[in-house]
Amino acid sequence: MSTDLDFGDEPLLSWDRWDRMKNSELFIFFAAGAFAVLFPWLFIRAPITGDIFTGYGSLAKTILIWSIFAVGFNLLLGETGLLSFGHAAFYGVAGYGAGWVAIYSYGHPLLMIVVGVIMGAVFSMLVAPILLRLHTVYFAIVSLAIAQTLFWLAREPFNQWTGGENGLTRMEVKPLFGDVTPADQLPDVLGTLMGSWMYLLIAVFFVITIVAVHRVKKSPYGLIFKAIRENETRSAFIGMDVWRYKFASFVMSATIAGLAGALLTVDKAFVGIRRLWWSASGDVVVMTVIGGLRTLFGPVAGAIVYQWFGGVVDGYPQIGQYWLLILAAVFTGIVWWYPDGIWGLFSQIGDFLRSLGGDNE
Amino acid sequence: MSLLDVQNVTMEFGGLLALDNVDMSIERGELVSLIGPNGAGKSTLINVITGMLDPTEGSVIYDGENVVGKQPYEITQLGLGRSFQTAEIFPELTVRENVNVASFLTEHGSFSLNFFRRRDGYGEVRERTEEVLETLDLVDDADLPAKSLPYGDTRRLEVAVGMATDPELMFMDEPTAGMSPAETDMTTDLIKTMQNELGITILLVEHDMDVVFDVSDRIVTLHQGNIIAKGTPEEIQGDPKVRSAYLGGGGG
Repeated sequence: MSTDLDFGDEPLLSWDRWDRMKNSELFIFFAAGAFAVLFPWLFIRAPITGDIFTGYGSLAKTILIWSIFAVGFNLLLGETGLLSFGHAAFYGVAGYGAGWVAIYSYGHPLLMIVVGVIMGAVFSMLVAPILLRLHTVYFAIVSLAIAQTLFWLAREPFNQWTGGENGLTRMEVKPLFGDVTPADQLPDVLGTLMGSWMYLLIAVFFVITIVAVHRVKKSPYGLIFKAIRENETRSAFIGMDVWRYKFASFVMSATIAGLAGALLTVDKAFVGIRRLWWSASGDVVVMTVIGGLRTLFGPVAGAIVYQWFGGVVDGYPQIGQYWLLILAAVFTGIVWWYPDGIWGLFSQIGDFLRSLGGDNE
Repeated sequence: MSLLDVQNVTMEFGGLLALDNVDMSIERGELVSLIGPNGAGKSTLINVITGMLDPTEGSVIYDGENVVGKQPYEITQLGLGRSFQTAEIFPELTVRENVNVASFLTEHGSFSLNFFRRRDGYGEVRERTEEVLETLDLVDDADLPAKSLPYGDTRRLEVAVGMATDPELMFMDEPTAGMSPAETDMTTDLIKTMQNELGITILLVEHDMDVVFDVSDRIVTLHQGNIIAKGTPEEIQGDPKVRSAYLGGGGG
């Protein structure tokens, strides 16, 4: 009779409805999209944020690229429980791959991204047979060793292909379509919100990454990854070919790291050797842990905080030179009080507000 | 033909003979208990059968197929389930998820799962999970994290996870260890249900002799890596070799 019939007794706005909605793919899609569209404006230009939060244009792109990297990394660390300390390898290999396409073939942004991602993924498949036999700290150390080996190889023996210390230059990134290059401004209100086409390109891949990772987490694989994290021995005794699923998790995670690396090459038209250096692997660990292991959006929050410290706080008078120290203190504090990171803090605040709102029927 | 045939299995650890030419078989539908004092080789034998250890010599024939050298997951997929002595569960997952992950692997082997499909779309998996939760009386706790369960319930979950693999033959390693008398009674009933109503063949390792004599069709006694007696509960109860093994005749 009335439209209320569709919902039974449930009001249009209720916590139950919210709980169901917030895990739906459509909601994740719109949330990630809305974030990607509004973030640069809020971060760089919004009048309400004032001077202290003001970042700069290229930092918004960097943050989104690292967000992609960290979200993919978290699939391996947060879900499957494998701490890789060498993800810079996949990030770097894909970055060089994208660069080589532009130099030796044709520098269309999408071609660079596709080839870069494939190279990152293939490289992860090559090292998986060595790495996935190892556990815990041995896994971390050998993954670090593999990434460092690549760094040293890229620096000296292969410097005619990698440009060594000087990095890979002389690449030309071609227009996306027509005569629109990635560096061009977006038209009208899109330009005000997001700036360049390059940002839009990164944002599109960001949303794809978020939705894809969300989907994997909701699939049987998501459950299996968690089972491996919780108890690998038991997993084998319920009939699981553990190696196969670890391999899947590892390659998925490396592929997403590769996507981030390829996007960075398109953005900068340059590949620096420091992408392979261990600190890149370390950065992504810190971002993921600060943001919140086992959460979908946590690593994004971690990437924002980390890059904001490195890119903005760094430039402040007096305290700027201590940014790493401040970050270390923040990191320790967050991990101490909120093992689930910034995202865990957000959910706790949310739960608190909800209990104030009288959600106790 | 026996469901499980252990033939001349010898297991040596650097000169130490843990199993010495062990022969035993289990018929379909039977409940066989494996008993013996600590250090008799019970765990080693189970580990050999389930693929955790490869025997130095001998073969393990399951349903006509030699399983020596196969990986534990392959053996599980053939239909040999296992519940562990220490609760080997997935602590951070909910009770339902614990069972669910086993159901997925059972219904879909290892090869037909899609990493881009929502897992609540797999109806037959959900049914299997709910069935197991009901059989083991875990429905009320299904949404709790497994680590929050009291001890007895954890052990029941342990069995539930093993059951979800749809075993034809189930190994139960001391399912009543550390349980209160009431919990032990419940577990005994459960074991009988599994055998009689669900048609599962069971190999039970157990120290509680009341349970063993209550549920077993046959009993195999291991002592210092050798089988010293096989027979019905009545035969074993009166066997002088079994008595001396338990009362300090050999191992102390």
